[in-house]
Amino acid sequence: MTDFEWPWQYNFPPFFTLQPNSDVRKIQLDAWCALVLSWGKSNNVSQIDVTEASSLPVFRNSAISRALPADAIAVVLEELAKRGNLEWTDKSKRRGYLFWRSPTEWGQQIYTWAQSTSRINTVSTLYEINQGDETASEEFHGLDIDVLMKALKALEASGKVEIMDFGDNQGVKFL
Amino acid sequence: MRRRAGVGAIQRQKIQQDKFKEKGSEIQENQLEQMTLQMEKFRENLEDFAAKHKNEIKKNPQFRKQFQEMCASIGVDPLASGKGFWCEMLGVGDFYYELGVQIVELCVATSHRNGGVLSMDEVLRKLNQRRRQDNQISADDVIRAVKKLRVLGSGMEVVASGSSQFIYSIPGELSMDHTTLLQQAEKAGHLTVASTASSLGWTNERVGRTLDHLLRVGVAWRDDQDRPASYWFPAFFQQCAVAE
Repeated sequence: MTDFEWPWQYNFPPFFTLQPNSDVRKIQLDAWCALVLSWGKSNNVSQIDVTEASSLPVFRNSAISRALPADAIAVVLEELAKRGNLEWTDKSKRRGYLFWRSPTEWGQQIYTWAQSTSRINTVSTLYEINQGDETASEEFHGLDIDVLMKALKALEASGKVEIMDFGDNQGVKFL
Repeated sequence: MRRRAGVGAIQRQKIQQDKFKEKGSEIQENQLEQMTLQMEKFRENLEDFAAKHKNEIKKNPQFRKQFQEMCASIGVDPLASGKGFWCEMLGVGDFYYELGVQIVELCVATSHRNGGVLSMDEVLRKLNQRRRQDNQISADDVIRAVKKLRVLGSGMEVVASGSSQFIYSIPGELSMDHTTLLQQAEKAGHLTVASTASSLGWTNERVGRTLDHLLRVGVAWRDDQDRPASYWFPAFFQQCAVAE
């Protein structure tokens, strides 16, 4: 929450009411998606729980006493899912991963890091990748473990890593 | 004994009348000639003046406005066409055409968030930001430039009354009622049906119908969390106007 700059819409009271005009609503949803993603990025939010969503600061602005109603939040999350920025963890759509970068993009970043630090043909643990000192300056430092796994699976699918299971811990070999 | 009026007298009278007429038209001609001469002189001076102060006219908005007014008073419109003395001499025709294009660009670039309504403040701020300090434009320039655009059809209009000035580029013309509500909104920022009805002396139905139209064209946004529901206008929302 440190230096996140809210867009002007966040202080515009009708932004928290889904607009009846379909053209305007489309513009409004664009702005909501952009806001949720940039907010998620700035606060490192990777998962959103629908039942708790209404208490997230992104969906309410107490300074102007406005909050996005639950049904409107559902519309915004569904729109994010449609755009590939959100993936439901289950069919009941109670929880979702928020991708302000797609798993493929994350994978690309991780692979670039591995290349630039000569890790090709070596093995790294997941902990090293998202918590280790050596990634402190990387964007994927602190990344949600589930999202990290998705990123690595995407890399595996393109033949760039091999995921290894060490029982209680997991690691990857960069190829 | 009184002499009766004879043929001679009648003829004399006629000759006299003719002489008067002749003199009259002579004087008239003289006057006309002098007036024409004066006008010609004035025009010449104006042209001299324009040529001399070409740079000033191009750069100083205040000066430009006064020059325009001076021209209008003798029936010269420096903007009338792209050809002819005025344009070649001053390039003012181009000046307004270029400005017109910039205004259209601004309207298009911002219409996704303001629905096609721009406050004069925003237009001036954004356009002047891009201009050199000694080359700023005024509201008068904007109004003239938009009027020039009318030849392209009724796509754009400046609404100016008192302190409230805005430009709208909404497909289809707005009626007086719509314009009136936009003026109210420009002053207040947002409107409710009841308060607008009472301040304008309209029925609630009339205000509601007009606001609904503004919602449909995407100029207004509805806030249902306000009690009663209020109508907001991004164009007149300060933080929106300064957003890039």
